[in-house]
Amino acid sequence: MKKVINIPLGSQHISLLEPVRFQFKTHNEKIVEVGADVGFVHRGIERACVTQFEWKKLPYVVARVCGLCAITHSLSFTLAVEKMLEFESTRRIDYLRMLMVELDRIHSHMLCLSHTAENAGFEAMFMEVMAAREPVMDLQEAISGNRVQFDYIAIGGVHRDISPETAKEVVATLDALKPKIERLLEEFSKNWSLSLKYRGVGMLTYEEACIYNTLGPLARAAGLRTDVRLESSDLPYEEVGFEVVLEKGGDIHARNMVRLYEILNSIEMCKNIVQNLPEGEHLLKIKGKPKGEAIVRLEAPRGELMYLVRGSGKNFLDRVRIKTPTFSGIPAMVEIFKGSEYADAPAILASFDPCMSCTAK
Amino acid sequence: MKKIETTLERVVKTIEEFYDRYEWHFLTLNGIDLDDGKIELQWIFAKYGAKDETVVFYCITDYETEVPSIVKLIPSAIMGEREVVDMFGLTIEGIEGKLYLSDDSLKTPLKTMGLGGCEV
Amino acid sequence: MFRSLANAWSNMFKPPHTVKYPFVGDVQVPSDYRGLILYDVEHCIFCDRCEKACPPKAIVFYQHDDGHKEYRYNPWLCIYCGECVRACPKADEALTHSSEKPNPASKAENVNDEWFVWQTVARESRERYAEKKKAEKAEKRAARKGEPAGPKGD
Repeated sequence: MKKVINIPLGSQHISLLEPVRFQFKTHNEKIVEVGADVGFVHRGIERACVTQFEWKKLPYVVARVCGLCAITHSLSFTLAVEKMLEFESTRRIDYLRMLMVELDRIHSHMLCLSHTAENAGFEAMFMEVMAAREPVMDLQEAISGNRVQFDYIAIGGVHRDISPETAKEVVATLDALKPKIERLLEEFSKNWSLSLKYRGVGMLTYEEACIYNTLGPLARAAGLRTDVRLESSDLPYEEVGFEVVLEKGGDIHARNMVRLYEILNSIEMCKNIVQNLPEGEHLLKIKGKPKGEAIVRLEAPRGELMYLVRGSGKNFLDRVRIKTPTFSGIPAMVEIFKGSEYADAPAILASFDPCMSCTAK
Repeated sequence: MKKIETTLERVVKTIEEFYDRYEWHFLTLNGIDLDDGKIELQWIFAKYGAKDETVVFYCITDYETEVPSIVKLIPSAIMGEREVVDMFGLTIEGIEGKLYLSDDSLKTPLKTMGLGGCEV
Repeated sequence: MFRSLANAWSNMFKPPHTVKYPFVGDVQVPSDYRGLILYDVEHCIFCDRCEKACPPKAIVFYQHDDGHKEYRYNPWLCIYCGECVRACPKADEALTHSSEKPNPASKAENVNDEWFVWQTVARESRERYAEKKKAEKAEKRAARKGEPAGPKGD
């Protein structure tokens, strides 16, 4: 007998990090229909950006869109404003900015991996990954002066220069992190009980990835070659050894692998950046008020982040449009849920690495 | 960034001719309030694997005219369209807003910004 | 399986990654940690630049009627970005970015309620003062005009 059952997941659920509600319609265990409600934490930041705050204060405002990718938010806004003011940054500024973005990617990916492990029922792994993540956050604290809200990016550069001692610490910490990631790589690919929860679950094919315009690790796990680090020339990623990580599977396992290999790649990049840091100023004076329109895309840990800024030479901007990665990923997520078992839903959801405070802004 | 002007009648056809799902990806639909009761709608695309290639189709319209939907062409456009309906109070064919706003919040928070305040 | 048993056994004697926070004193923070903003009234020239630069408006100057200004700072509203110190013409003297940790406040204390009242009071005080100054100026001007006008009239 086929019976349709409605099961909600969220807005508060033990497997959720952030408030989102999925309405599942299931035939026995199989999910057949999905509705998503994402607007629980809407704060009206786009409106506040044009009515409450002057453009010089906005890097701090947009950094509050999201805790995990605060640095990419303030950086993309700053890049957009700098484009409008025709500002030329020095290579040292670019390198320091890239360093922080990549460190951010490392710890954000580790958070996602730990939650995927936890939602698959492997709590010891969750704690292990979280413990390994802590030194990376300490590094960011040492560089920027704060653990979560870095407020490191300034319009015209970065607020602090990196000291030689901190640079040494970065290399030492990342060297210590690398074997841990390699061990995780082995664990995630060879552990039998994890493979039951991961392999062939939450499939997204290449075709579907193209149809639903998926982004970030979700798309790369399905074999779609898209990475804004490759597609944008705002930051010189080729110089520091960036490589696109691609997987074919499209399931949770493939997403985990993409994240793990990206962490390894980011570790290499960070070390390259610190060891080949060019000389120069870290903060330059910038004059004028933003006028015109600029679009900036940047690869946040979860995928492509886009800022569209329009100004008319006044203290207040005309429009700040924030397009976050999870926002574009929702249609694909809904599609992936269809046809999978309800019991797998938490693990699938964690593997998307959804960021609801970004989505609802 | 390449900007191409279009009109509401032509926009679906233009995008249909332009869009190849293996080559381009759709970023979002964006609205910008233009102070004089008009709104600029932008359909933003970016090319896979190419450096800095973004194409923006834009058209200027008023708030009353119904905007055609491109969800049939690009299913992921639904999020952007719902947001525009929500934030500006536009009507897009077959699209319901209610993405972020609840019953007791501001009605169209990003509309008529330049005129000072919005409809509550 | 033996490996996992051995792992489990050795894990029992490993120290935990966490610290028993309230009992072990303060957690280590880096020396250039962005902490509380310290203020020195001796060096302040009352230019109000920090107040204008502050994104969350956590610095407010109250205008007393006798002309001097009073600095007030809300550490619970502050986002510790350091924008005020960068705006300060006498940075590291009048305003300093210390590495001192701010005291946490619980929600029940409603630390910000008073502050929002205070913000309006401070704004009103300045408006009042500006009006007073304006009136004084107008009076002076009137008096100055009145003086030469007076003898002529006689």
